[in-house]
Amino acid sequence: MESVIGALNLNATLVAQIFNFIVLLIFLRVVVYKPIVNVLEQRQKAIADNVAAAEEERKQAEALRQSYLAEMQKSKEEAQAIIQQATKAGEAQAQQILEAAKAESVRIKDSALADIEREKEKAVAILREQVVTLSIMVANKVVSKQITDNLQHDMVNEFIKEAGDLPC
Amino acid sequence: MRGLEEIHKDLDFWGFLHMGHHGVVPTPIGDVNIKTLVMTWGVMILVALFTVSATRGMKVGKPGKLQLMVEEMFQFLRGLVYENMDYRKGAGLMCLIFTLFIFLLFSNLIGLIPTMMSPTADINTTLGMSLTVFLLVQVLGFKYTGGKFLKHYIQPIPLFLPLVIVEELSKPITLAFRIYGNIYAGEVLIAVLLGMFSLTATLLGGFVASAIWLAFSIFVGFIQAFIFTMLSIVYISLVVAENH
Repeated sequence: MESVIGALNLNATLVAQIFNFIVLLIFLRVVVYKPIVNVLEQRQKAIADNVAAAEEERKQAEALRQSYLAEMQKSKEEAQAIIQQATKAGEAQAQQILEAAKAESVRIKDSALADIEREKEKAVAILREQVVTLSIMVANKVVSKQITDNLQHDMVNEFIKEAGDLPC
Repeated sequence: MRGLEEIHKDLDFWGFLHMGHHGVVPTPIGDVNIKTLVMTWGVMILVALFTVSATRGMKVGKPGKLQLMVEEMFQFLRGLVYENMDYRKGAGLMCLIFTLFIFLLFSNLIGLIPTMMSPTADINTTLGMSLTVFLLVQVLGFKYTGGKFLKHYIQPIPLFLPLVIVEELSKPITLAFRIYGNIYAGEVLIAVLLGMFSLTATLLGGFVASAIWLAFSIFVGFIQAFIFTMLSIVYISLVVAENH
């Protein structure tokens, strides 16, 4: 045994090295080990949190997307309804305008007809008077010497009557 | 071509060889290799500086480079532990596994700096750590499986006791010698390469061999630290498993 120890150069260094190693072990345990474990744990936790948060956010985004889609659908329908309403209103308005124009044209036509009638009557009356006057003047020239005032008066009346019956 | 002794004397920049008897200093607890101890303290300080600066002002959202390094290392080791044993049992061991790995890694790498030496290039260091793991395995085995753990020493028949003891003891010994052999051999080859070429030859391209070997040693340093940690996890997981 002695010879083996001598050949291997074994001595008290062995004990000292065990002691040194234990000192280093205790030092690392006290000073270094905790921070490493802590930071690794924190990182693990942070990663887990991140994954959970990402999942949560994905869900929220999905819900948001759904609500947007629903809203879009709703607004599309609303727009459709508005367009339909507007079309209907436009048609109604056009109808109204058309009817008003028709009524206006009828009114204008009527008034024009009334004017024409009035003008005609006026012209007839003037013509009648002038014809009478003209006839009297002609008759007067022809029979001025033979007809008495009495007779003339009867003749004028008769003439006026006949002239009134004339179709104009 | 110079001898190893000569090169080691040339490399003794810090004067460790002049302390005590060729670097072996008698103390109240016995003789100690002073260079190994000083280098271990250096490694401890470096580990402390590295981890403390990496863990001050840690950020969850945007980790710095150092923080990320330590975190990745920690998570890698935690993955290994959780693959091999129960979550609740593994969580308590994480600090030990992390310390083991980072200490061994820095120990392996510090020897690549000229005039420095890997604490793991001394069998005392590696054996000390593997014995620590060994004791832990025994204690945890007894704690988690109780009498069943003691019973496995005499199974299937009591005649097997010596065999099982040898089997159990072989674990820390192989663990210690594997990392010691790799790292010590690496340091020896560094010294040999330094002695092989004269200064002119080194400047004319002899440094390439050293550079390649140093690069490979970095790789070996990582691998050996990983293997030691991994095997420790496996040994522990074997005894804490319910269906032992």
